[in-house]
Amino acid sequence: MLLPGLGFVALMIGFPLLYTLWLSLQHFSFGSAPRFAGPGNYARLLQDPKFWEGLRVTFALYALSLALQLVAGLYLALLLNRTRLLRGLLRTLLVSPFVMPPVVVGMMWLVILDPSLGIANWLLQTVGIPPALWLASPQWVVPTIAMIDTWQWAPFVALILLAGLQTLPTDVFEAADIDGARGWALLRRVTLPLLAPSIVTAATLRSVDLLRFFDIIYITTQGGPGDASQTLNIYAFKQGFVFLDIGYASALMVTLTAIVIGAVVVLVRLRRATQW
Amino acid sequence: MVTRRLAAGLARLQDGVQIAVVATVLVAPVIWMVTAGFKDSDAVTAMPPQLLFHPTLQNFTTVLTTMPFLRFGLSSLIVAGGSTVLGIVLGVPAAFAVSWNRMHWPALLMLAARMAPGALFLLPWFVMFSAIGAIGSFWVLIVTHAAITLPLALWTMLPFFDALPRELVEAARIDGCSDVAVLWRVVLPLVGPGLAVSVILCFVFAWNYFLFSLVLSDIHSRTLIVAAFNFVGEGVTDWGALMAAATLIALPPVAMTLLGQRWLVAGLTAGAVKG
Amino acid sequence: MRTRIAGLLLAGLAACMLGAVPASAQGFNWKAHQGETIDFLTENHPWSNAVVAQLPEFEKLTGITVQVDTFQEQQMRQRLVTILQSKSASVDVFMSLKSLEGKLYAHAGWYADLDPLLKQPGETSPAYDFADFSHALVAGETFDGKLDGIPLNIEGPIVYYRKDIFQKCHIAPPGSLDALMKAAAAVRQCQPTMIPWATRGLKPALPYTFSNVLHNFGTDYMDAEGKPDLCSPKGVQAVSWYADMLRQYGPPGAVNNTFIQTRELYGQGRAAMAFESSNEFGEMMKFAHRQDDTGLMLLPPGPGGVSKPTVIGWGVSLSAFSKKNAAAWYFVQWATSKAMDARLALQGIAPPRDSVAQSAEYKAWLQQVPVRADWERLLTRMGAGGTSEVGPPLERQPQAREIIGDAVDSVLLGQASAHDAACNADKQIAAMMAQQ
Repeated sequence: MLLPGLGFVALMIGFPLLYTLWLSLQHFSFGSAPRFAGPGNYARLLQDPKFWEGLRVTFALYALSLALQLVAGLYLALLLNRTRLLRGLLRTLLVSPFVMPPVVVGMMWLVILDPSLGIANWLLQTVGIPPALWLASPQWVVPTIAMIDTWQWAPFVALILLAGLQTLPTDVFEAADIDGARGWALLRRVTLPLLAPSIVTAATLRSVDLLRFFDIIYITTQGGPGDASQTLNIYAFKQGFVFLDIGYASALMVTLTAIVIGAVVVLVRLRRATQW
Repeated sequence: MVTRRLAAGLARLQDGVQIAVVATVLVAPVIWMVTAGFKDSDAVTAMPPQLLFHPTLQNFTTVLTTMPFLRFGLSSLIVAGGSTVLGIVLGVPAAFAVSWNRMHWPALLMLAARMAPGALFLLPWFVMFSAIGAIGSFWVLIVTHAAITLPLALWTMLPFFDALPRELVEAARIDGCSDVAVLWRVVLPLVGPGLAVSVILCFVFAWNYFLFSLVLSDIHSRTLIVAAFNFVGEGVTDWGALMAAATLIALPPVAMTLLGQRWLVAGLTAGAVKG
Repeated sequence: MRTRIAGLLLAGLAACMLGAVPASAQGFNWKAHQGETIDFLTENHPWSNAVVAQLPEFEKLTGITVQVDTFQEQQMRQRLVTILQSKSASVDVFMSLKSLEGKLYAHAGWYADLDPLLKQPGETSPAYDFADFSHALVAGETFDGKLDGIPLNIEGPIVYYRKDIFQKCHIAPPGSLDALMKAAAAVRQCQPTMIPWATRGLKPALPYTFSNVLHNFGTDYMDAEGKPDLCSPKGVQAVSWYADMLRQYGPPGAVNNTFIQTRELYGQGRAAMAFESSNEFGEMMKFAHRQDDTGLMLLPPGPGGVSKPTVIGWGVSLSAFSKKNAAAWYFVQWATSKAMDARLALQGIAPPRDSVAQSAEYKAWLQQVPVRADWERLLTRMGAGGTSEVGPPLERQPQAREIIGDAVDSVLLGQASAHDAACNADKQIAAMMAQQ
């Protein structure tokens, strides 16, 4: 039962992982032959300011996007749970954004947010707000990308949290109601702790993708302006496929994989801790 | 009495307003994109934006005629469909085995694919497949995209299998059914919704993935997503055509999702939490 | 006597006739590779778009089927390197920008040597006339003595400006970089809603336009000993000028701009000046009114009076790993023939062949719209006295250009002074050179 799946994984995923690991130990550029380098690429990585910058951008984008998505998702889930109004419509809307191809989402937002040619600035100006640089601003590019990703994935988070909400035991809420808990207090003391496992599940699912943020950035800014939106994944890709330094790119990708695995391990432990 | 009704009414109004705002935020950019597909190219980026315009089908005609759009669409269909089937066929039994035996390590191993950046696989795969001269063939694309669908199928099916009462399976076993028969005859019918979710998500994410096709496909097997890049380049920026192409490319996954939304929502909300 | 003369006459006639055998009898067999299929990887460029549109003619002429794979430039390159690195035969002929990747690919042995194909009798049509190509462009396609590609076009950054706006604001076309900056200021004052200056700010793209500025200031990326020299006084001035122009007079968000945005802005009439590739001429003139109100000029000289425009050309090359070099060469010949180049010239693709520039139809096309003649004049000047150095002359061009782009952007974004940025860039380039 397990064998076909495991076999497939060993061949298609295990072998490439090992091969990339081997590549990371070589000095290897496109167009020449590999030379053994040992930990050379990893040493270079540690001294590379762009690596650290990439790490910083990755985590900043990750933290901001995750926070926004969890909050927005929670809000949407509570709204959907609470109201019967237009449930069908809302449900339809919720499943649509995250199934759109990233290429499409990127191109759409690229034009909408263009500082001179896009409709977003026009909208801002009609309500009296000065036009923004959006993806062209080194300070605001990360929040802008976080916003785009939240637009796309908060509904997904909402669906997961909605599931959690719908399976919460009603007796606890009845008791809380009798005790007079309302609004914020109810949310903080009762709902959130009970919902914690779902929240961590959603966080884990999103983390795996957010830490490897690539598609939208590749299509919109390619790491710019400057290096302001250059996540580790983008940087590794650039090193490999634009600068053709395969050995170094492999080291970067192996490092990124380790980071993602580490994050998942932490989150899985966290989930166990929030079980009730 | 009246105040109770009023309060309830106000609450509904509040909710209604919030829903309206949420719906607008989610939908407005997409509507902009779709309508842009019906505008002339310069009208798309013209300031102030034209709300009233002469709709034209020119962009869609351009998209469908200047490139073998339908052929690319077929390629996307083959790749997404094939890899979905492969992912399900490999992943569902694996999920069952993991759930039944309560082993975690195979699952984690199979999920490892999701944790590495996509580009990590590109060069090794390219080396592997070009060595046997298979670059560009459909089966290569199907097999590589299965690296995306397999973990997805596994992850979506696990909670459903976990939720099954063990006695049911044990009873079937005692009756003499082999493992495969147990899965096929007893278990699968019970996790129908989970399968629906798996199929939809696998198909959609395989359809949307561009990195592998970018490097591993050739002109015959080029997928639609990769072709989308061609509308922006030196000498021409056809914004209208770009948005028309974007609309057409997003149509299949969105349509499939909308058709299966009941199962999708039910599956995501019912199964995805327990695991 | 008479018979002798008659005999001589006859012999003479016979000789004449033999000499006058029409070309078709000893002609080039275009159908020699009938039935073969070749794979052509190209980018979304006016040249390839025009050629691909005429493929049916080639297929009828030769019976060779051409499978075209078109991508945006970046994606094309990513695909190409993966294919060439693994020595795969999936591509036979491709577009290649020698000024960017030529050294690297040639060094890696990825280009097929075209000399044998050119010189071998029967492989090349007599009408091809290889000598007709601009010597400078052919030199750009040659590495280590081997001809690695055929030039397709000639292009370089030029300044497009609105004659009407200049007239209205009483600005004379600037004769120096200094005057250019003043002109931008004048536009800002006179027409506050217009963007005075639009050009590239996107990191990998800006060396193309920046190199012209650098050379016009009378300096280079490297000094005479081959050491990085951006940090010289003139180099720092160049960085400062480019960044200041963009920061003060450029469009908002210029740091993300490349030819796409610049073309839109100028074409829509929102920018008074655009510093962009001559390649964009065709597209820019398609916008309403631009044909009539656009003036063209080379980037004016810097303080030292130097004007050294940047000039590059795309080329078409054969893959060293292809099994169909001969058939692919037929395609290249057809696509770069005199007839083809003449046709393409009428579509605004600057010809790499000297003869085309002289042809009657081209001249007529130029006369049709005055600005076209201006464009042609500029191209001739560029071809005569330009340089193809876009980034520091290193094999690892993309990295070198990224360092330059980083430097200029950091000044543009106000993150560093021009001096610090330039010196930092030199350090990084030196480090890169040491690594090799």
